[in-house]
Amino acid sequence: MEISEKTQYVSPENDFDEIIRVEHLSKNFGENTVLKDVDFSVRSGDVTSIIGSSGSGKSTLLRCINLFEEPSGGRVLFHGEDVTKVRNKSAYRTRVGMVFQSFNLFNNMTALKNCTVGPRKVLKVSKSEAEDRALKYLAQVGMADYVNARPSQLSGGQKQRVAIARALAMEPEVLLFDEPTSALDPEMVGEVLSVMKNLAATGRTMIVVTHEMAFARDVSNKVVFMDDGVIVEEGDPSQVFTSPKEKRTQEFLARMLAEKN
Amino acid sequence: MEKVLTLFRKYGWWLAKGVGNTMLIAITGTIVGLLIGLAIGVFRTIPRPRNKFLRVLKKIGDVLLAAYIEVFRGTPMMVQAMVIFWGFALLNGGLTLDVTFSAFIIVSINTGAYMAEIVRGGIMSVDKGQFEGAQAIGMSHFQTMIHVVIPQVMRTILPSVANEFIINIKDTSVLNIIGFTELFFQTRTIASKNYDLFLDYLVTAAIYFALTFSISMIIRLIEKKMEGKKNYKVIGSQNMDAQSFAKELS
Repeated sequence: MEISEKTQYVSPENDFDEIIRVEHLSKNFGENTVLKDVDFSVRSGDVTSIIGSSGSGKSTLLRCINLFEEPSGGRVLFHGEDVTKVRNKSAYRTRVGMVFQSFNLFNNMTALKNCTVGPRKVLKVSKSEAEDRALKYLAQVGMADYVNARPSQLSGGQKQRVAIARALAMEPEVLLFDEPTSALDPEMVGEVLSVMKNLAATGRTMIVVTHEMAFARDVSNKVVFMDDGVIVEEGDPSQVFTSPKEKRTQEFLARMLAEKN
Repeated sequence: MEKVLTLFRKYGWWLAKGVGNTMLIAITGTIVGLLIGLAIGVFRTIPRPRNKFLRVLKKIGDVLLAAYIEVFRGTPMMVQAMVIFWGFALLNGGLTLDVTFSAFIIVSINTGAYMAEIVRGGIMSVDKGQFEGAQAIGMSHFQTMIHVVIPQVMRTILPSVANEFIINIKDTSVLNIIGFTELFFQTRTIASKNYDLFLDYLVTAAIYFALTFSISMIIRLIEKKMEGKKNYKVIGSQNMDAQSFAKELS
């Protein structure tokens, strides 16, 4: 009951909990339309899973949110401010963390340095404070023992956990995950998902593009199903997974579940 | 053998001065050239500005840099040396610039043009994800370059930079044309005094080779060092494996 209350629509004018709001977002790559008139919002504490088949535009949506892709139309509001017009993308990005499919850890730095370089150089935090922060978050993802390891010495799952710690060390308001387990060997998926589940339990606001249906169903409190550049259906996970309203959602879920078995 | 010893006894200091000057210009020219190349690399990779004025400015900068690179790669350093040396004298009412300083400027600018291309290749070889990872934590273009990209570029371009350095040791010899007292200039002077041309130049060739070969060896050592330690220390006693960690969390 509590969860469904959370996902209820509240008008943006008097919703102070709303962090991100996407309005009429569209994105073209040349002649290709990847996103069409997407509306979508995230409130503090929401764990939103974006699901859909490859090429449905879900990663592009995520990349538009932190401005890696410049939207062709529409707005992205962060606490009511249109960030697509903001000059200084960097300041905005410090508040919206991103975890990538391919980790993107800095190859020239140790795990610790990966987590301290942002706070130190971007947020201008002191060295000792940055290290305290980094150690705290590395411990949270279970990588405190590997502070001196370089990315090339870590497994995929370990890299992704350090990447999550790196994003956390910036203490962002929202964490974006772009298919965080898709590049991992099957036996490493579990450790990363557990970390994410743990984060969700601590009340982190997260937007997760994922193919992990179990995560979408069990951990998130909102599921967005995308197909062909539009949001087909969104809502409470239990509703979307057990009784999807749209035919396309039904087909997608049936296919995903069939693959699993 | 006797003759070689006599040569060193008589003109040893001349040769030493030549070696000193050659190395001075080769080292400083290569370092400054590398810095020019890195600066150009940072400038050229600036993302397309949104502001129209800045965009035009960037475009003009790009064109000027491209012209600089093409001109300095496409003409002999000997000719560049003459043009710069005498061109400066012309502008300065017949007064020439200090020869050593001229030599330094010429080698730096010339090396910069080559380095710019080497750096460009180095930056292109860095995974796009490294840039995105840096941008995602709010780094500016400049911060991304300084902290993430250039350290990785340096590793990949080190062999090419070493190559430029070795080329510079040899190519400073063309600067004898502006009267710079580098190794070749000194040898020519010695030869004009003792008329033992073959021996003089043979010895000089040996000196050049000793210089470049030892540099090669040093660079190889540095490369090995840069590869870093193969091992890392796992700290803490409760080093759990991934599975038990996952279990503990869920």
